[in-house]
Amino acid sequence: MHPYVTSLMENVKAKNPAEPEFHQAVQEVAESLAVVLDRHPEYRSRKILERIIEPERLIMFRVPWVDDKGEVQVNRGFRIEMNSAIGPYKGGLRFHPSVTLGILKFLAFEQVFKNSLTSLPMGGGKGGSDFDPKGKSDDEVMRFCQSFMTELFRHIGPNTDVPAGDIGVGGREIGFLFGQYKRLANEFTGVLTGKGLNWGGSLIRPEATGYGSVYFAAEMLATRKQTLEGKRCLVSGSGNVAQYTVEKLLDLGARVLTLSDSGGYIYDEQGFTREKLSFVMDLKNVRRGRIKEYTDKYKSAVYTSLDPAMGYNPLWNHKADCAFPSATQNEINAKDAQNLLKNGVYAVSEGANMPTTLDGVSVFLENKVLYGPGKAANAGGVSVSGLEMAQNSMRYNWTREEVDNRLRLIMKNIHKACVEASERFGTPGNYVNGANIAGFLKVADAMMDQGIV
Amino acid sequence: MPPASKRSTAARPRRPTPIFQDLMRHRVQHILLVSSLYDSFILTEDGQVNEALMRQFSDQNLSQNPDLIRVSSGAEALAVAGEDGRFDMIITSIQLGDMNAAELARRVEEAGLDIPVVLLAYNNRELTEFLNRHGRGGIDRVFLWQGDVRILLAMVKDQEDRRNVRWDTGRMGVPAILVVEDNIRFYSSFLPVIYTELMHHSYRLISEGLNIPQKILRMRARPKILLCETFETAWSYFRKHEENILGILSDFEFPREGRLDRRAGVELVSRIHKVRPDIPTVMQSSIPENEAVAAGLNASFLLKGSPVLLHRLRELLVEQFGFGDFVFRMPDGTEIDRARDLRSLVEKLRTVPAETLAYHGERNHFSMWLKARTEFTLAEKLRPRKVSDFPTLEDLRQDLIRSISAYRLARDRTVVADFDRDTYDASSSITRIGAGSLGGKARGLAFVNRLLLETDVASRFPGIRISVPPAVVVGTDIFDQFLDENHLGDFALSSTSEEEIEARFAAASFPEQALRDLDAFLQRARHPLAVRSSGLLEDSPSQPLAGIYRTVMVHNRGSEEQRLAALVAAVKRVYASTFSRQAKAFLGMTPFRLEEEKMAVILQKIVGMHHGSRFYPSFSGVARSHNFYPIAPMKASDGIAAVALGLGRAVVAGDACLRFCPRYPRHVPAFSDIDGFLKNSQREFFALDLSAQAPRYGEEGAELTRLGLAVAEADGTLAALGSTYSPEDHTISDGIARPGVRLVSFAPMLKHGVFPLAQLLDLLLEIGCQGTGTDVEIEFAVNLSVPSGESPEFGFLQMRPLALTGEMEALEIGDLPDRSLLCRSRSVLGHGKLTDLRDLVVVDSNRFDRLRSLEVAEQVARINVSLQGQGIPYVLIGVGRWGSMDRHLGIPVTWNQIAGARVIVESGFKDLWVTPSQGTHFFQNLTSLNVGYFTVNPQAGEGLIDWDWLAARPALEDTGFVRHIRLDEPVTVMMSGKTGEGVILKPQT
Repeated sequence: MHPYVTSLMENVKAKNPAEPEFHQAVQEVAESLAVVLDRHPEYRSRKILERIIEPERLIMFRVPWVDDKGEVQVNRGFRIEMNSAIGPYKGGLRFHPSVTLGILKFLAFEQVFKNSLTSLPMGGGKGGSDFDPKGKSDDEVMRFCQSFMTELFRHIGPNTDVPAGDIGVGGREIGFLFGQYKRLANEFTGVLTGKGLNWGGSLIRPEATGYGSVYFAAEMLATRKQTLEGKRCLVSGSGNVAQYTVEKLLDLGARVLTLSDSGGYIYDEQGFTREKLSFVMDLKNVRRGRIKEYTDKYKSAVYTSLDPAMGYNPLWNHKADCAFPSATQNEINAKDAQNLLKNGVYAVSEGANMPTTLDGVSVFLENKVLYGPGKAANAGGVSVSGLEMAQNSMRYNWTREEVDNRLRLIMKNIHKACVEASERFGTPGNYVNGANIAGFLKVADAMMDQGIV
Repeated sequence: MPPASKRSTAARPRRPTPIFQDLMRHRVQHILLVSSLYDSFILTEDGQVNEALMRQFSDQNLSQNPDLIRVSSGAEALAVAGEDGRFDMIITSIQLGDMNAAELARRVEEAGLDIPVVLLAYNNRELTEFLNRHGRGGIDRVFLWQGDVRILLAMVKDQEDRRNVRWDTGRMGVPAILVVEDNIRFYSSFLPVIYTELMHHSYRLISEGLNIPQKILRMRARPKILLCETFETAWSYFRKHEENILGILSDFEFPREGRLDRRAGVELVSRIHKVRPDIPTVMQSSIPENEAVAAGLNASFLLKGSPVLLHRLRELLVEQFGFGDFVFRMPDGTEIDRARDLRSLVEKLRTVPAETLAYHGERNHFSMWLKARTEFTLAEKLRPRKVSDFPTLEDLRQDLIRSISAYRLARDRTVVADFDRDTYDASSSITRIGAGSLGGKARGLAFVNRLLLETDVASRFPGIRISVPPAVVVGTDIFDQFLDENHLGDFALSSTSEEEIEARFAAASFPEQALRDLDAFLQRARHPLAVRSSGLLEDSPSQPLAGIYRTVMVHNRGSEEQRLAALVAAVKRVYASTFSRQAKAFLGMTPFRLEEEKMAVILQKIVGMHHGSRFYPSFSGVARSHNFYPIAPMKASDGIAAVALGLGRAVVAGDACLRFCPRYPRHVPAFSDIDGFLKNSQREFFALDLSAQAPRYGEEGAELTRLGLAVAEADGTLAALGSTYSPEDHTISDGIARPGVRLVSFAPMLKHGVFPLAQLLDLLLEIGCQGTGTDVEIEFAVNLSVPSGESPEFGFLQMRPLALTGEMEALEIGDLPDRSLLCRSRSVLGHGKLTDLRDLVVVDSNRFDRLRSLEVAEQVARINVSLQGQGIPYVLIGVGRWGSMDRHLGIPVTWNQIAGARVIVESGFKDLWVTPSQGTHFFQNLTSLNVGYFTVNPQAGEGLIDWDWLAARPALEDTGFVRHIRLDEPVTVMMSGKTGEGVILKPQT
């Protein structure tokens, strides 16, 4: 380990005992940035890393509420205002019994770089409570949210801190929180994202991640003077991300061959059409059927069930140009990565979170595959939160096309930032390094500019 | 059987001429029944109660029948028996809440009460455990309930005969039969048969009698039964009454000199034959080879366990006798007509000559006859009325008709009325075609009917019609008649081909009278019908055969001939299911013989509404008063309900449905997780397909159709149960006002008071628990799609006690290191410690393929057959939900495919949590057989299972997906029914 990182970590552990998740996150970032810090001693001298790991503000508060039986319940609320160098704090609220200060700090720290990478003016934060919405009535959840916001409202605002949803905080909770904020602050502002479509929410949220990963792939191909037109594409999964990945791929003229669910996958040599996609959307979103049923309707497709004993996923073993893992974690291992290479795949854009194992990533990097890691390629989801803020500030709602266009620009910017950072620090074409460094640099430079605050 | 007089020979000393007052001095007239309301209901409310009790007791005295006073606790029993000295007998269940039967007997004795305490157990396993632990103590006699209401007769007669034998037989020469048997289950099963046959025999004498005292004399002079459980008792009775012993029915093996003696029977019979070589003797044994031994003793032989035991017994004991009619006579004694029951009594009363009325009226014949039939209220009402009170005999006639009709009407509201072709009203609650029992399920329905009325549930929910849907029950006698007339009994018992059984049943002719009744029924009943099984053993508290027998739905459309043909075919299919492999497998695990099972059939109106070519209720469900998997703030005792749009098949088959706690309708755990709810909520529903043809063999459920929610929305049935998912907002909103993906959430009902489902279920569960004294499961269907101005309909389809026995005693599992465990779970059904399981049948988690789960089920079944055949119990371990009808959610085995498993473990998939399938028939059967059931979701931190350890054990057999492992040493299974925790320990080596 770099001596600087070693000494930093000793300090982190001493100051933040019993927060192993936070320690690990700091160490990973610090290690990946060693090359930057070596080359640019000004960051070290101004103690950017030391400052960036220390939250700007920690808010911890009591959340008392009354349950349906009239019993008083007490939970603990948190808001970690981690970094506001490039914009208002931005990050989700999590309601789950596992929530602790250490976990939220770790999440807030990662959020700083994720938000930075989108190129939008969003700082990093995170918050939540050890409240468990599971098994609570709507009214109990509402009373809890109102009590939570009764304290939180004085710390947040559209230009200060804009929380969003996370685990345990969905549309229902955002609604209750927003209602109470509006009542206390006496203003209707974009203080939360993830709002309902008819009261400040943005369009394209379900589509954003899938569209974004396709845009990112298109940008990667453009570096080799290619487009998605006519490319044979393998897509895994059949949820939101996969469905909208296919939709955007079809928009851009690609030929999509596969989709999957936990039971197996379908391979349609003739490629998906809009009609076939619409069948899949009805099957998965309305009827909640199995992807296998696709073959009942479209005889051109072949269904193969997954066999965990095989040690690889046959979906990745078809002749193709591009792959869009959009299902789940660890769905591409080293063997799958080899199979993709063998079948001619030269671009992989991750719509899912961490779908490729570390071994698999090494295979891609060693073989110069255009590999868009999730933290960059699926940043579309986070970006739409930023676009919701923008629309709220303007008091105007963009059309689908407008949001989609901006999403495309954002993905283009992310790609550009990754490419530039990777080239600048000696690993051209390595989007993994590029994403890590680009996210950091933007925040670090802003902090440099703003003095010791 | 020779009458008593033939046994008295001139060579012997002359006896005093018996007069009836001298006989049967000790009579059991007042019984104190200590049990829950449900237990007592089983005894007294079997459909044929009036006739049955009349038959049972009419031999005593036409005006005296025992009455049953019920109390529900030991303390209450002691208090009542102490205050009111008239009780002749106490009948008690094993557990009384505040004490057990042994303690009750002890305290009765301590209190100086000279009342015999007789134990009536409802569960053989429980009885065995009880006797092992407590012995008999002060308990006078022990009986085991096996679904035959006549056991009450046996208990009373046994008591009376023992008390009266000294005088009646010893002094008056009334003959006696020695029955030597120490096996409680066996004598509980055949004593009622023997007594019944004796009653019939005796009753036959009535019509031969000249006057009432003579009739009574003959009735009282029927042979006595002397049940002996030891060699010494039998020999002592014989020595005392050797002249009057009419015959002997003896086991081979029973206690002699305090020890079980294999040759006791042979010794006894030989010794008796030395004194009385001519005495008719029947010997019984479970060993076929003993037939030769019996032959050597000049005795007939009965094979215990033979499917035709009771039939043979009956043959051996007596011939067939008629019984029970009210005989209308002219004043000179001439019979002019007969009435079988109250209905025909009213009918005949309209036409018999006036002098007949006067004749019977003056002699109180009507009230006596009614009293014999246990129609006490009516009898008491009629008794004080004298013929002279009426201006004319026609006034007497009208008064009798009015009184009896009014009584019948009131009684029929709570008890089952006889079906009347002329007067049947399709909206009346429950009526019966044919005689015999109603069977367990119908009995349960009659019980529910009574509970609903007594507790006046309807007034607490005005605006809702709460009732048991109108039903006609085809009694078990029709089943017997069908089998007898077509000679199907022996064939069905022995055949292993379900297809052949069903084909032969389908081709057999249906009893003519019943056919005409069904025809008349269909004239008025034009709604779709559920043809449901109601076996004698079905839904008994300890042995629920839930879902083992068939239910067939008929849409009841077409020409009259078609409708009748479809209905009869459906009844025959239900009959055939009595002999299905599944039923045979299930009964094989219980102390019962299939021959003891008789099938009544319920023809019940299906709750629902026509919607085009479909018919279905708004929703159906199951609710249980005990929740094995409560999530805070709910407690296990708060209960759990599972509901689904459409017909109930979705719920009982374990398909996607909504679960909620009736006490916390707004705290639905499923609502908290949007992704989970999208994945697991109901998207399809079942309806009756009105265009379907009658299904053929193997087409289970072909009369049903599976439909998407768009159909329900168009039919208007989704509005009260639906929610809407918005992909844009990733939220689920209550109701279906907004555009989006429709889901079945029941939110409008549970959160917005569209229908007070939760409150109603909570009340019904509470009433059910109070009524039965145990936890219950209820099935229901609700129709909200009613014409404007009509009230929604809540159809109470079934109630059965949950078999929770044995879960009361604590079992400490303690702190055990994970490495010593094969499995640990906090969601365990079952109770106790097992140390004899060496065989493990494992569906390997790594090899399991959800898409090939049908093959997995077959492989499991194959191994099960082999192990069950060898009598080797095993631990079954697999992934996903066992018995799931959705093969993607687990392994779609049927009950008989895993019937030999003693412990079952279900583990979550890597990517899917197993939610325990609450309230399904599958679970019900497993729990009633006390099969241990572990649910683990290691990937979610809920429990553990050591797959690696299993994988490292060599397999005795490997079928691809399933491995059969035989360990050198047994595993130890510990389950606590109280805490729901359980572990399986690896062998200690």
